[in-house]
Amino acid sequence: MSALAELLAVARDRVAAAHAAGLPVVGCVGADVPVELITAAGMLPLRLAGKPGASELGDRYLGSGVDPVARSVLTRILAGDYGKLEAIVVSRDCEASLRLFYALRELRRVEPELPLPPVRLVDVLHLPHHTTTRYVKAKIAELREWLGVGDPREAIEAHDRLRRLLAEVAVLRRTRLTGTQFLGVVAATTALPVATATALVERLLGEVLPEVDGVRAFLTGSSHDDPGVYEVLEENGFLITGEDHDWGELLFARTCAAPTELALAERYQHNGPSAPRASIRQRAAHTAAAARACGAEVLISYARVHDDAPPWDFSAQRAAAGLPAVLAGHQPYGGLTEKALTEIRTLLPLGVSR
Amino acid sequence: MTGRLASATTATAYQREWFARMREEVAGGVPLALVNADAPQEIFRAMGIPYVVNQWWASIVAAKRQTQRYLGLLRERGYPDDIEQYSATSLASAFETDLEQAPWGGLPTPSIVLGETTGDASRKIFDVWDAQPGVTYYPLESAAENAVPERWWELMPHRWEEAIGSDRLDLMTGELTGLIRFLEQTTGRVFSETRFREVLALVNEQQEWNRRTRDLIAAARPCPIAVTDGIPSVMVPQWHRGTEWARDAARAFHDEVRERVEAGVAVCEDERLRLMWIGRGLWFDLEFYRRFQESHGAVFVWSMYLAIAADGYLRYGDDPLRALAARFAAFSDQLYTPPWSAEWYVKEARHHGVDGVVHLVSDDARGGYFTTRALRAAGIPVLELHADNVDARTGGDLTTQMTAWLDELGSN
Ligand code: SF4
Ligand code: SF4
Repeated sequence: MSALAELLAVARDRVAAAHAAGLPVVGCVGADVPVELITAAGMLPLRLAGKPGASELGDRYLGSGVDPVARSVLTRILAGDYGKLEAIVVSRDCEASLRLFYALRELRRVEPELPLPPVRLVDVLHLPHHTTTRYVKAKIAELREWLGVGDPREAIEAHDRLRRLLAEVAVLRRTRLTGTQFLGVVAATTALPVATATALVERLLGEVLPEVDGVRAFLTGSSHDDPGVYEVLEENGFLITGEDHDWGELLFARTCAAPTELALAERYQHNGPSAPRASIRQRAAHTAAAARACGAEVLISYARVHDDAPPWDFSAQRAAAGLPAVLAGHQPYGGLTEKALTEIRTLLPLGVSR
Repeated sequence: MTGRLASATTATAYQREWFARMREEVAGGVPLALVNADAPQEIFRAMGIPYVVNQWWASIVAAKRQTQRYLGLLRERGYPDDIEQYSATSLASAFETDLEQAPWGGLPTPSIVLGETTGDASRKIFDVWDAQPGVTYYPLESAAENAVPERWWELMPHRWEEAIGSDRLDLMTGELTGLIRFLEQTTGRVFSETRFREVLALVNEQQEWNRRTRDLIAAARPCPIAVTDGIPSVMVPQWHRGTEWARDAARAFHDEVRERVEAGVAVCEDERLRLMWIGRGLWFDLEFYRRFQESHGAVFVWSMYLAIAADGYLRYGDDPLRALAARFAAFSDQLYTPPWSAEWYVKEARHHGVDGVVHLVSDDARGGYFTTRALRAAGIPVLELHADNVDARTGGDLTTQMTAWLDELGSN
């Protein structure tokens, strides 16, 4: 099997792939969990993905006004969809994740009969100030102690190596991978031991891949732990050549300046800029530069219902990128409404269709 | 039936005068700050920099029925008009096109806006402020903790370090140090620690009065004041905390309540059911709170405004900046994070001897499920109303639901 096929197979069933590695599995919520520490503890960090569709328990405990991804993740945790988890570490990548943490913490307390593993918050914050660095460093030290980790040096180097390779894939994908495939490759690396993921990605970089085509689109807005939106857009004649969410290129945009706990704190503090955590100005500058780098012809913002940040970013992003752009607001999790798709299709030059 | 509280009318009048005076000062070149309700306003107070509270201004705009027009101004500029409307209303004031229609003559443009980066959208709203000429946004982190203190309301006045955790306090103290330097440099004003200590002492005095008032109302049978009347009596002085006027206003409110209790004044003579209201005020239908007095003898005796003033603000300690950081580093935990919030509501329900709780649950209610659960587990009946506090369209059958619930509650 080609490395690409293997990675995409992992992406389709991440839970099974993670458990097949034979290591204790720790569920991670959000891109701000320092996975290095979990690796260093001899465990496998599995980033928890939601699944579009029913989220009844999540709705009950979180309220229906919260990002459906968080509601889905909570529902799946309670349903045991992720298999046996040694622990769950929740990061503060967005408001919905924090609420998910509070719900889990409280459920463990008041409904102890529920099968929930220990739950831990790692409060990584993002203001670009030294005061914040010191705080994040303290939070990372706390997590390290909680996990009983010794020296994380090796794990930091291993994860950084994977990030650098993924950055190479991000260049390759502009001409040789569809956006959907790229999303799958990245997702696969969030479910495998870092060494396994690294070996597969390395092999992928050596494979001969056919050229891909389509109207080159840069995707901004909400994050995508599910390929639904990518698939619809690419079926409709677009090729997603870049994105700025943390299930895509933002996941590995930054490495550590040194294999130390301090540099690890700085890496997580400054990683991004993600929609829920960065300023409008930072986002606009990043989106414009990233769209340019991948040769995008159009800019599409997909804003999921109850994901509040992206609509605020859009007008500055459009102005900075200087590309034809559409904001699809209030979109369902994992898909696009007919109305939104019709509007997005106006970005296609005449004569382009599937 | 009782008349309106004098302290409520006085407070409302004072607020108007203050606003007019502030507008003149700002027109004369004094810098203005716009701050979030749960931000450390005491620093501005100590430095003599006037400030307007974001959420208060939104409530004035709503009362003048200008919210829709203001949200339209946001829409025209390509910003969402349906996310955190309460926080975004003031921003729309920056785009005011019609001073004739602007409430109270309009909000002058601030030179600094201060707010925590809570939520995903609220910091963006401040970013848009920051993009306006002459306006700087000073962001504060909003940190969160794994550990939960037990009975935080007992710890907070003196043992806040233990309740909140040192990392969060280090962070916020660092940020406040930066804020002071920023204000010194950009306004040329002096931060005197002596003055700052006075301000903090006044705030504590004020909240001690609120605490006594809360305890009076909790113990009084029948309930001496309408819950809606208490709100301006607490909140207007709250926005002026750190002044002698505010401290005295809190004391006047207390004295008025005590007189009523001593005179046996009742909001409803025939008080049969004591109710607690959890959630934001139902601003589009304030009459709601009295509607069930006649039919069921049901009286609302509690809302969060006086109670959080009583329990949420007191901070004593030798290091004034750290004590101020402690007032805000966990402010929203107190009201919204389970179990902090849920346990506090249970304690307050018992303290006030309520027969039932009406819980307004909006779509994005933080910790709503756990609040209801905790109350019911404590044997307190809860009616959940699902509606938005400012949007009249969502409230249709609230009265019907209340009636059915009270019928049952009254027959037990
Ligand atoms: S106490 Fe409640 S209503 Fe008052 S400002 Fe804070 S959140 Fe808003
Ligand atoms: S019963 Fe209560 S509501 Fe009715 S008139 Fe008497 S005091 Fe007023």
